[in-house]
Amino acid sequence: MGVVHGDLMTLNIGPQHPSTHGVLRLKVKTDGEIISEVEPIIGYLHRCFEKHCENVSYEQVIPYTDRCDYIAAMNNNFGYAVTVEELMEIKVPERVEYIRVIVAELNRIASHLLALGAYGLDVGAFTPFLYMFRDRERILDLFETLCGARLLYNYIWVGGVSHDLPPGFIDAVYSFLDYFEPKIEEYNELLTYNKIFIERTGDVGVMPPEVAVSYGVTGPNLRGSGVKWDIRKNEPYSIYDKFDFDIPVGAGKMGTVGDCWDRYYVRMVEMKESVKITRQALKGIPTGDVHQALPKKIRPPQGSIYKRTESPRGDLAYYIVSDGSPIPYRLKMRSPAFTALSVLGEISQGWMMSDVLVILGSLDIVLGEIDR
Amino acid sequence: MSKYFSNIFEAVSTLLTGMGITWRHMMNIRKDNVTLQYPEERWPRPERDIGFDIDDYNVIRSRLQVDIDDCIGCMKCERACPVQCIKIVTTKSGAKGEDLPDINHTGVTSNGTKKALIVSRYDIDMTECCYCNLCTYPCPEECIYMTGGPNSHKHPIDYEFSQYDRNDLIYKFAKDVDEEKLSKYFPRKEETKA
Repeated sequence: MGVVHGDLMTLNIGPQHPSTHGVLRLKVKTDGEIISEVEPIIGYLHRCFEKHCENVSYEQVIPYTDRCDYIAAMNNNFGYAVTVEELMEIKVPERVEYIRVIVAELNRIASHLLALGAYGLDVGAFTPFLYMFRDRERILDLFETLCGARLLYNYIWVGGVSHDLPPGFIDAVYSFLDYFEPKIEEYNELLTYNKIFIERTGDVGVMPPEVAVSYGVTGPNLRGSGVKWDIRKNEPYSIYDKFDFDIPVGAGKMGTVGDCWDRYYVRMVEMKESVKITRQALKGIPTGDVHQALPKKIRPPQGSIYKRTESPRGDLAYYIVSDGSPIPYRLKMRSPAFTALSVLGEISQGWMMSDVLVILGSLDIVLGEIDR
Repeated sequence: MSKYFSNIFEAVSTLLTGMGITWRHMMNIRKDNVTLQYPEERWPRPERDIGFDIDDYNVIRSRLQVDIDDCIGCMKCERACPVQCIKIVTTKSGAKGEDLPDINHTGVTSNGTKKALIVSRYDIDMTECCYCNLCTYPCPEECIYMTGGPNSHKHPIDYEFSQYDRNDLIYKFAKDVDEEKLSKYFPRKEETKA
């Protein structure tokens, strides 16, 4: 006996929809209120990133990497700079490494704050969103004193950073961390352990570890499924091997391992870990000249390189083919949000219509990075 | 049955915890207020009085400004721009370092460099600008900069420059140079050949 299906109805969510976090269209086939198929349709924000990079010089690519993942632009700069440096075999000064780690971790906190706040908004909690944005604003203010820009920094350059830390910056970061750490507990009380929130997210959209691995999902989404994988620990780049921090994984505290609540909670704990790393980096920062290793002309030798880094959304990698000219021959960006979105169709089958946006929100996608 | 009531109890208690937090915030509303009434009040821009040489550190992202009298037409900014929003046309001046008053051309920059080129067109399309600041670093005369911040003494900050017409956002910095007057100094050889 086969299963009796009613008529399937096709629904389009987006491209302009507040819960799709950008211009994404979801083609949803529903049987009554039960989802039988979700097909994400992307490309509305395609900006020819990769083709464009083949026409501009290596330093001019950096503003474009900003615009891919505009929530965590520092991490994108970081990944690109690390990749080109490895290709050119540049050794950057110690101080630059520390500054990069500080700004990358601060930006990770900012990115997770936006992800969690917007996730609260997706399930109907407005207050945490405002509180998280208030705290994110403080990080953006720090970055503004650092490099003048609030979102698209162009700060981490190949071989260095564009500006040294302004005086008082380290104290300002310390005071921010002191202010921020107790706030995490407040968010937990406000949203994480709220019964209504748990009912909406616990046991919903379960992503088993095998599915996550087979789809190539990385970052907090993978760790939410209980897989302990973090490029910062497993394949340390820059100076991440010097710091002591844990990798939070989902444990199925409010349901099954790999549900939406786990993915949400991993991000919450990760912010604490980022605070930990930032404190260690602030303590150990040496003095030095940040412009010392800046190459006069960026002209990598012939060859190719694939280098992965851990952005707030996961495994962000750049593949660069160089033919020895000052313009990249080919530049490919492996975007973590793209793989995270690809798993949506698999894990949202059988859930209710109202759960689709909850599952989508828990994946924390940025469309600028998916379409590139 | 007990599960049902414990669920209700849990929901109510966690809700009340959340309400308690918002209540505490509401009590501190005067102290913790983060909202600004924008057009009336503004956030202070980071002044960044940073101690190092101001000329080296251009830390503000706002409108681009060019001191055209200092521009030597080297086109380094045009090449550095990743979005090609700077358009420069120069013609060769017959007399290097000499003032040409009839076309408002000064021969020497404020740094003392003698200019060999006349900049007849210097347009920046601020609708295309991506505020990456890459054009300001290579300038040898420090004549292109973003307004405000460390450059406040050159130009006050200008980050609210919306216009009703897109064309008004194309900033033309070059002085109006009359083609006829210009040809006096620069006979158009290509045209005569053709």
